[in-house]
Amino acid sequence: MSVKSKKSLASANVCLYNENMNTELTNDNYTTQEKLQILADAAKYDVACTSSGSSRRGRKGELGSTVSCGICHSFAADGRCISLLKILMTNHCVYDCKYCINRVSNDVKRATFTPEEICNLTVEFYKRNYIEGLFLSSGVLKNPTYTMEKMCETLLLLRTKYHFNGYIHVKTIPGASDELLAAAGYLADRVSVNLELPTSESLRKLAPNKTMQTILNPMGKVQNTIAAHRMAIGKSAYMERSRGNQFLQAGIFSDTSKQQFQKKLESRAALQKGTDVSKTSARSNPAVLDSSFTWNQAYQLAPHDMSRLKRSFAPAGQSTQMIIGATGESDYTLLQTTQQLYQGFDLKRVFYSAYIPLNEDSVLPAIGTPPPLLREHRLYQADWLLRFYGFQADELLTLEKPNFNELLDPKCDWALRHLELFPVEAETASYAELLRVPGIGPKSASRIVNARRYGRLDFTNLKKMGVVLKRAHYFITCGGKQMYHTPVEETYITRQLVSVDRKESWEMAHANEGFSQMTLADFGIG
Amino acid sequence: MKIYTCKDKLEDIMTCIYDAWADALRIGHDQIRLKKEPIFQPTLLDEYIHVDGDCSKAEKVTRSIRRDISSRAYLYVYYASLSAEEDALQAIYNFLRVGFAMGADVLENYTNPHVMRIMELYRNIGNESHHFREFARFQSLDGRVYVSHLEPKSDVIMLVGRHFADRMPSEHWMIVDDNRKMACVHPKDGENYLRYLTDEEFDALRKTEAYEDEYTGMWKTFFHTIGIKERENYVCQRKLFPIWKRKHAVEFKE
Repeated sequence: MSVKSKKSLASANVCLYNENMNTELTNDNYTTQEKLQILADAAKYDVACTSSGSSRRGRKGELGSTVSCGICHSFAADGRCISLLKILMTNHCVYDCKYCINRVSNDVKRATFTPEEICNLTVEFYKRNYIEGLFLSSGVLKNPTYTMEKMCETLLLLRTKYHFNGYIHVKTIPGASDELLAAAGYLADRVSVNLELPTSESLRKLAPNKTMQTILNPMGKVQNTIAAHRMAIGKSAYMERSRGNQFLQAGIFSDTSKQQFQKKLESRAALQKGTDVSKTSARSNPAVLDSSFTWNQAYQLAPHDMSRLKRSFAPAGQSTQMIIGATGESDYTLLQTTQQLYQGFDLKRVFYSAYIPLNEDSVLPAIGTPPPLLREHRLYQADWLLRFYGFQADELLTLEKPNFNELLDPKCDWALRHLELFPVEAETASYAELLRVPGIGPKSASRIVNARRYGRLDFTNLKKMGVVLKRAHYFITCGGKQMYHTPVEETYITRQLVSVDRKESWEMAHANEGFSQMTLADFGIG
Repeated sequence: MKIYTCKDKLEDIMTCIYDAWADALRIGHDQIRLKKEPIFQPTLLDEYIHVDGDCSKAEKVTRSIRRDISSRAYLYVYYASLSAEEDALQAIYNFLRVGFAMGADVLENYTNPHVMRIMELYRNIGNESHHFREFARFQSLDGRVYVSHLEPKSDVIMLVGRHFADRMPSEHWMIVDDNRKMACVHPKDGENYLRYLTDEEFDALRKTEAYEDEYTGMWKTFFHTIGIKERENYVCQRKLFPIWKRKHAVEFKE
């Protein structure tokens, strides 16, 4: 490392760097290209490859800017976007999580990037517009704090010596020290820690080295620090949500439901104090959270002074991911957990990852089990309903009906169970009511609300505004009339909607099966 | 019917609108059509009037749109003027007729087909420029100059260039539109400018595409490694990254 870089590191007042740390990291004999192959391959199961949520202009003499909508740069063969350079710093790991390809008992090629290599790759890829930034995760090398220290060192080098101003998403390692967590927050745009599994039982079963507490603790601390920083610059303590949410009184981000959530937490805490059997009752409940973990109860991180960097603390917030299909949790548990993460930790996103069997183990699905792609898709649909459409988790699923319908999307499913609310009159209904109609989304709903101030609407207009009439026309009237003369009757509409969606659902469930129609070319003709 | 035609440049388009409008005040808006050149199939009975760009007339149109409708409306008109759609110029004209009658509220009047059409054009251009921000790939010429080739349907390289001027202000780079033989050039720490390329310049620039270095190879490795075999879904990939936009994306080249 050059003298100049050492100076700039020192000037940032962080004692992260130590000469003799580099020694054991360079002793594997792979070229950078081989390392990239190994470590990208090991990182590909992480799902959160987004670059959104942070908006920052570029600066002269530096490289990079961020755009709040995020930018995808390519799409891989599985159709997932490639936005960030998604790599592990190392796939050496001392943990033995049963679902993970990098568990210590697996015999796979292991490699470790040096900080310089990561920085070079990031900057050179970025200049060629291949990527939007860096996604840095890692296996646990030696111990969590040591690993996290190396990661922070990489980020610091990237931000100071390489003057990289683009997007960085860093995965924190559960169990790392608070100082490092704080440093990561200052250097990255988004900080995240993987919840992996929604209940502490499954965590104990599959990830014996992790506990719910070591995962939720840093999440709470980071969020509390983010909130403090946001308030210091005059923003609200809560993360920004999509604009439509301000009109949705029933939604999970509205003030009333924040109060309700607080009350629920308090009564839960009181209950726990009163009876000492609290542990068992908390465990039988699908919800993972209790009041001691949520962000406004957590300690705020007190980092070294990093004000020289002139960076705000994790401007794109936090996210997490859960594996689905590895253990027996119902969709109800997953969705409840999701909502509580949004409300208790103010997370920006919760990601789901359909479990792909990689390891032979008696507690896991057998190798060759197809990943539950349709289930993952339904969960994402429900997640959108929570964040953009003003739904609550318990409206979509209940204990009696804990899983999503494979044939219908969650919104249609909900609408069919609440036909007493329909049909809705497009010319008079409120924004919140319109949003609950299947086939109408935030954009078309706000267009309808704007347009009807200037004139009457008809179905052709609605179609032009982006309403999906093949779904919506059963549930709306326009100027007092339905589009076709259809009964508002559960069995009839269900039958119709299922046939509308059948092809889409089938494609989703069988996405990775390579059937195609025979053509003459298969026989060497034409 | 009179058909006003002009070249595909903002100044010419605005002047064309000015002249057509002046004439329409005498003979009525319905007797006027506007079209971008070239006209491949002239009709027999209509009169074609070619309009050349005139700075002061163009400025007058721009000023009145901003003052009498809104700056946002001008943005819509500007985007629509970049479109390669055949009816783009006529759509702008129709929109302005509604706009000057209604004022700033016109942009929310989604039930009006002319407003809807200009919104559609605006959206298409916005999406296309966003896609090329995503899919543009630069070739590094010894780390000194970065060159990217694009073949957009609409004339979006200046919009794409604006994004990169913010992102990489302290590099030399240029974005070449292979269809229109134009380039958006950015000198280090300077301002973007548009350049119409001569044939020799264009031929010289074509050769940069063959240029590959170690990072191109590493990017291909990364691209092929990061997809998950068990989730393979080429239909989804094509939907999100259409084949016509892949022409200059290095990861799809052998």
